[in-house]
Formats: sequence, structure tokens, C-alpha cells
Amino acid sequence: MFKDLLKLERFPTTWCPGCGIGQIMIQLAMVMDELGLNYTNCTIISGVGCTGRLAGYMNVDGVYTLHGRTLPVAEAVKLVTPSLKVIVVSGDGDLASIGGNHLFHAARRNPDLTVLCNNNQVYGLTGGQAGPTTPRDTPTVSSPAGAHYDPVDLQNLIKAGAKYFYAKTTVYHQLHLRNCVREAVAWPGFAFVDIISQCIENNGRRLGFNSAYEMLLHFRKTYKRAPEGAETLEPYEIGIVRQG
Amino acid sequence: MKRLVQGNEAIFLGAIKAGANFFAGYPISPSSEILVLAAEYAARDPGFKFIQSEDELAAANAIIGASLAGAKSFTATSGPGFTLMQEAIGYGHQVEIPTVIVDVQRVGPATGMPTMPAQQDIVQTNYGSSGDYYPLVFYPNSVEECYRYAAAAFSAAEESLSPVIVLSDAFVGHLNEVVDIDAIEVEVVPRSRPPLGTGRRFFTGLAHDEEGKPRTADAMVYREWLSKVKARHKKVAARYSDLEFKENTSTDTLLISYGIVSRVIAPLASEFALFRPIRIFPMMGVELRECAQGYEKIVVIEANDGQYACLVERELKREVIQIPLLGGRINLDLARKGLSEKLERGLP
Repeated sequence: MFKDLLKLERFPTTWCPGCGIGQIMIQLAMVMDELGLNYTNCTIISGVGCTGRLAGYMNVDGVYTLHGRTLPVAEAVKLVTPSLKVIVVSGDGDLASIGGNHLFHAARRNPDLTVLCNNNQVYGLTGGQAGPTTPRDTPTVSSPAGAHYDPVDLQNLIKAGAKYFYAKTTVYHQLHLRNCVREAVAWPGFAFVDIISQCIENNGRRLGFNSAYEMLLHFRKTYKRAPEGAETLEPYEIGIVRQG
Repeated sequence: MKRLVQGNEAIFLGAIKAGANFFAGYPISPSSEILVLAAEYAARDPGFKFIQSEDELAAANAIIGASLAGAKSFTATSGPGFTLMQEAIGYGHQVEIPTVIVDVQRVGPATGMPTMPAQQDIVQTNYGSSGDYYPLVFYPNSVEECYRYAAAAFSAAEESLSPVIVLSDAFVGHLNEVVDIDAIEVEVVPRSRPPLGTGRRFFTGLAHDEEGKPRTADAMVYREWLSKVKARHKKVAARYSDLEFKENTSTDTLLISYGIVSRVIAPLASEFALFRPIRIFPMMGVELRECAQGYEKIVVIEANDGQYACLVERELKREVIQIPLLGGRINLDLARKGLSEKLERGLP
């Protein structure tokens, strides 16, 4: 049962009602259950931010690292214990901003890690500041007149190496999300899953959404599956691009 | 077998003797020999893992990950890199992770004078990260001691469950002396914590209770945790109260120095009493007070602007005379000049 992989005694979680992280955790637990991953053969490394708390709710050894430092920790764990499945779960701010240098170099070195990025396009825990993935012109508490810059291009950053695995999905597309996580866990190298999710409390409401449900419907309307065999995902396409 | 060994090499060999099997680092003079030796060792021995990290933040966090995964891990750096490692050192204290960090000091701040020797990371070593913590720090002054205390640092790390610092400087690191490494006996403490992949634990940089459950607003839990850690560190520190004291009844002056400066001023032993802390932190309160008793004047000679002198002053609750040897020039003439200015001419 996937529920055996959750520390239900620590529920309710710290996350706001309507947050997307819980859905990512459920899908991850389902994939782990399917693949026989548990506390004897798997560890979860998470970073600082709302997403970072995920490792504390899973029934495996978990490490809540410093802000931005998941990848150096995870890479070392994998090097010392190659038999262990090492899964990194963190937010877009943690992975792409404060941990950006590590992301670029970890992708280049291509260690066998699965990275799930909760991409809610905002710094949620600290109150809704613009992040590295905030779309240009989006109003946030730190960009009241709209974000000044284009967001970081995660797909092309990950694809810069000779070998790569980049998946994009959303919390609305649950089966697609689960499939991306499963494929990423099975991928023998650095596998990055970019998961668009909703932060209703510190981002969505400011953008005019009345509920997390409305944000999910927005994901359904906006994101379409990429055509079979696509080598590049267009901005609002979900799918997997990889090269082994 | 006796042979010529370099200080940095001795530190690496001491680490290996202690069972180190993971090194992550970023090249920086005057510590780079340790990184190069680790790379060479990893190329010969597949049981020894090596990462050349993208920066010192990554290196310091990689040794934390390696330690959690069951390795005895270490890194080596110098001032600017040591500054970058401070966040991971604080994390190591919060999460209670045994690991070893070697800091071969050079003149700072910032890039400073690469790579002239200095002792300017003394305060940073003790207070560099946020929060309260009680680091164990060794500062050898010879090649033999580099070996001995590198090995001791790994044992102290396991016993205290914390990042232990080995301080060195460009002179000690690049010092070549004839030693018989194999003849040096060191005690090796085995790994203490079961590795990742054996439990359902949560290792977090958040304040937490015994079960690893975050307790971020509970003052009692925090205070209990901090006093438990403080007591443990005090106990481990007592096990390594290594110092050198050369009494001298013909003088009223005690000279305190450590690391390379203590080697440089060794010829002053006939004129002054000498005190040298080897386990430089936590501060040696009782020992220092005992040794200082009976000496009217206390002088600290160090290659920084009074960093240790201020701590000695606080510990002894007496005025301490400072003789800073700055700008990477550390020699006996400068020490003598300082002593004559401050002791005979009474200059400030």
C-alpha cells in the first residue's frame, strides 16, 4: 500500500489547504510502492521551502538539507551508496535559484538521481516573492509592477548535456505526473521532472484565482500533451524529452 | 620508515589512517595538495570516493551527504572557501553530522594575499555560522602533529557528532619535516550512526525533537537539545585537552601562541614562559588559568590582529598584550620587536 510509505502520524501536514505538494507526494508514494522502493533501498533528499518538508512525511530515511543544497548532498549519498535509490524533491526557488549552480553542474555530471521540482512559480513559504520561474510581468510581493525578467529555461538548462532526462507535467495531470515520476526513477542518470503546481495562498489569489481548483482547471486548459517523439517541449506542452 | 613529509600530506595521511573514505573539495591555495592527494588516492582505491565540487558550498554539503550515507568524510580549504562553508558547518551542528574540515589559512579578508600565511580565521572557526554551537578545533604546529590531529579530528567528530575543524596555515601546510608516519600511533573511533537506507529517520536543519520531528516554536525542546549538545561537546573536548606549556620561573611574562607562530617563537623559551593550545576550541579555560597563574604579564603573539588575544582576555579576565604579526610576515625578529615595544617601551 502506498499509504505505508507515508508517516500518517505526522499528518496533518504543514501545507496550506489546496497546495499542490501533497499531490506530488501521493504520486511519488504510489510510484515507490509500484517499484518496491522503501526504507531499505530508497532515501529522499529535500531542500528548504514548503516542498522541503516532504521528506519528513515519507516512511524512509529523509534529509532536509540547507536551502539550495539538495544536489551536492544527494550526489554524495549516491556515490557512497550506489545501491540506494536517491530521490530529490524540492521547489523551483531551491533548485533553480539558490541551488542554480549545483543544478547546472549536477546535470553536467549526470549522476543517477531523480529530481522532482515542485514548480509553483513563486517563493511560497516566505510570502509570495518572485522566483526564478515566475513568468515575466507577473505581480508578486517583490515585483508589484510585474516580474522584470523572463523565467529560467529549465528544459534547455537540463538539455545542455550530452545525456539528459527532462519531463514537464502538472499537478492536474495526475496520471501523466505519475508516469513521469516512474520513468524518471527508472532512468539511469540525472532525471529532472518539472512539475507545474499551484500555490493558491501566496500566488494564486493575487493572480485572480479564487481557489486551488480554479488553478487546476487553468492547468487543464493551458497545458497540452506534446506530440509523440517531440525533441523539445513547447512552453505549454507536457511530456518527456530524453537522450541516453 | 623515516621520510620527508609535507604538512598537507600528513593531514591527508592522518585522515586515511582514521578511515576516511570520502573527500569533496574545491581547489584553493594553500590547501590544494590535500585535494590532489585525495584524487590520486581515489584513482588507486575504488573504496575511496572523490568529488571535485563546483564550489565550496557544494563540497561542504557533499561531505555532509557522504557522512549521512555512512562514510568518514572530509574537505580542505582556505579562508574564502572556509567562509562559504560556514552555512554547512552550522547545518552539521544542527543535524549532528560527524565530518572534518581542514582550513589552511592565508591572509584575508576576501582573496587577500594568496597565499601568504596567516591565522585570521580563528574567530570565524568558533563563531562563523549562525546560531550557537560549540565546535571542536585542532591546530597542529608540526608535520607529525598534522598527522596526529587530522586522525584525532575524525574520532572527535564521531564522538561529538559534529563537524570538527583542523586549522593549519600556509607555513604549516607547506612545511616539510622528516617523520616516520607509520610509527605514530593514533586511536581510531569507528563510525557511529547507521547509514541512510536503514531507517525511517528525518535529518533536518530545523530545530527538532529526539524523533527528528520539526519543533520550530518550542523553546523548551530547543533549550534541552542545545544543553545536551553542549554537554556532549564539553565531554569530548575534555578527552582532547592537548596543550603545550613550558614553565619559566625566571620571568613574569607568559607568551601564548599557536600553530606556526609557536614554532617561530620557540627560541624565546629561555626568556619567557610559553603556552600553546593544540585543541584550540572550545577555549581552554581551566588549563589556561592554571598556566597563567603567577605570570604578571600575558602576551598573545599571533598572525592576526588580536583574535585569540581577545578570547584569552575574556577567559582570564585580565588585560592581555597583543602582538599581531600581519601581512604574511611571520618571523622571530618581528616577534622580538613587538615584545620590546610592548614590554620595555610600553607602547600600546
